[in-house]
Amino acid sequence: MIRFAGRLLLFLFLLLVPSVSGAVLYIDINAPGGKRMPIALPDFVVTGGDASLARKLPEAIGGDLAMTSLFDVISRPAYLERIVTEHFSGRPLSFPDWKMIGTEAVVIGKVEVRGDQMMAEMRLYDVSLGNMMVGKKYTGPASQFRKMAHKFANEVLYAFTGVRGIFDTEIAFSARPEKGKGKEIYIIGLDGSELRQVTDNRSFNLFPRWSPDGKRLAYTSYRTGVPQIYLRNLADGTDRIVARYGNSKSPGSFSPSGDTLYATLSVEGNSDIYQVSLAGSGVQRVVGGWGIEVSPSVSPDGKALAFVSNRGGSPQIYVKNIGSSGEKRVSQAGYYSTSPSWSPAGDRIAYTSFMNGRYSIYTVRPDGSDPRLVVSGNGDCLDPSFSPDGRYLVYTFRKNGYSELKIASVDGRWQRGLFKGLSAAGSPSWSPRR
Amino acid sequence: MRGSMGGKWILSALSVVLLVFAVGCAKKELVKSTDTASGTEAATPPSVETQAVPQEPIVTETMKPEETAMAGVAATQEKPSEFSDIHFDYDKSFIREDAKPILQEVADYLKANPAATILIEGHCDERGTPEYNLALGERRAESAKTYLVSLGVKAGAVSTVSFGEEKPIDPGHDEMAWERNRRDHFVKK
Repeated sequence: MIRFAGRLLLFLFLLLVPSVSGAVLYIDINAPGGKRMPIALPDFVVTGGDASLARKLPEAIGGDLAMTSLFDVISRPAYLERIVTEHFSGRPLSFPDWKMIGTEAVVIGKVEVRGDQMMAEMRLYDVSLGNMMVGKKYTGPASQFRKMAHKFANEVLYAFTGVRGIFDTEIAFSARPEKGKGKEIYIIGLDGSELRQVTDNRSFNLFPRWSPDGKRLAYTSYRTGVPQIYLRNLADGTDRIVARYGNSKSPGSFSPSGDTLYATLSVEGNSDIYQVSLAGSGVQRVVGGWGIEVSPSVSPDGKALAFVSNRGGSPQIYVKNIGSSGEKRVSQAGYYSTSPSWSPAGDRIAYTSFMNGRYSIYTVRPDGSDPRLVVSGNGDCLDPSFSPDGRYLVYTFRKNGYSELKIASVDGRWQRGLFKGLSAAGSPSWSPRR
Repeated sequence: MRGSMGGKWILSALSVVLLVFAVGCAKKELVKSTDTASGTEAATPPSVETQAVPQEPIVTETMKPEETAMAGVAATQEKPSEFSDIHFDYDKSFIREDAKPILQEVADYLKANPAATILIEGHCDERGTPEYNLALGERRAESAKTYLVSLGVKAGAVSTVSFGEEKPIDPGHDEMAWERNRRDHFVKK
């Protein structure tokens, strides 16, 4: 009956610690290479509207789950039972039929489109126990069907692991539009769909950074001819200039509270790191020096900054406790180390480093110990940004002028392309949770 | 599990006990039922939570003055210059010997035309990360400005801007292209 050895241990664990987040854990998310949970995603029932949704929704959920390397989606031709409307009004699933094809879990769904609105009901069943683990009904614009699928994939992951999913998060980045020489800011879903253009001013728009609430983007724009930091309100499309002090400017990262931006401002050719108050107009230098100081990334507790400095002769990553004078170099290997991104748990810093003739992504502990290579390819891997669950990095892959965005698991075991539809795509930034 | 047969047997017996227990727990834990009529399991209508998914905000640019927009577009285009570009070593911003005669020309022009002003654009090659290159380009532009001032040019006659790696003059991806793209470009204002 029990297919997973780990499952027994987890039940035992739950008996000892019955208060663990209230959910029964089936999969240990931190045991890489463990057995995968087989799951079936039969076509949804579509009672009105676009019939192709019957497959698009379960495929979107399956794609999300496959990314975790924790699930095996059983291929559709094996399925013995077809899902019908009655399954949502009392008729039980034929669990022996699902057991027979080797699945442990089944997701079923029902979709109804009325005009431009839709309702999607989705359910997750445990085949062995024969019960519903999660049931959700989503309502909203029909154009948002993928978002509903991602939200339910989050529920499925949570039900099995007790860890919240990130499938409805997005990536902001900079890329060259099809026409023109400039770059615009774009946002794309984690599954590589739903591309949206954020800026449209035909100058250079660079370095997007999300606010902690996910409602604003700070970025650099040359729309007036010189680089300035703007703050975009994504809901109404309005922009405002953030810092007027200094010459070149780039946003680094928001404080956890969202009321302060750590940014690089250049004064008389000297780039330093400043704390910019978003409520008032206060600007205060937090990291200075004769060299280039750039790319601040704030720790999740808001107490420390990782940044780049070339004070030692080449750019390297340093960490500083805000308010103290000590600054410690944490990147050891490599002639050139830049673009730090602090992990959401605060335990590691990802960065770009030049080693063995190419740029690769590394992580290191904030005290400089335990450096690890994450990804290295037959090209350059640059500008990592952590996912809000800390399990993945999005980064730029470049080779001979070709550029695309890719995602890798932090242990480097898993990688996939995210976006290559526009040229010069780069500077990706992962949104917070939705 | 990796132990003897006896160990396995005990574990599987334990698992049955645990499973029975877990089934009892699971029903309670997993189905957040608001239904009070908890009859037989299959017949019980499972609780389904409803959640509204909002429309994605429609992103619109605010209107901006036409001349501002034009300045932004112009920033992406290479501007003609009567002065040659000066070039830099990889990841460096010091003024090389081969740049000095060009800077002397620029200084002579500015000193002969007291009303003239010049914009120095600092550029980098495509290697490395874009944000660091923005700072490096800034330093290259400022490096030339400092040199011009040392030749007697008024600081107010010179302004600087960095384009980082965004505006390569050579679209290639080899040493020759990189050497051409690590440059300061001088634009009369």
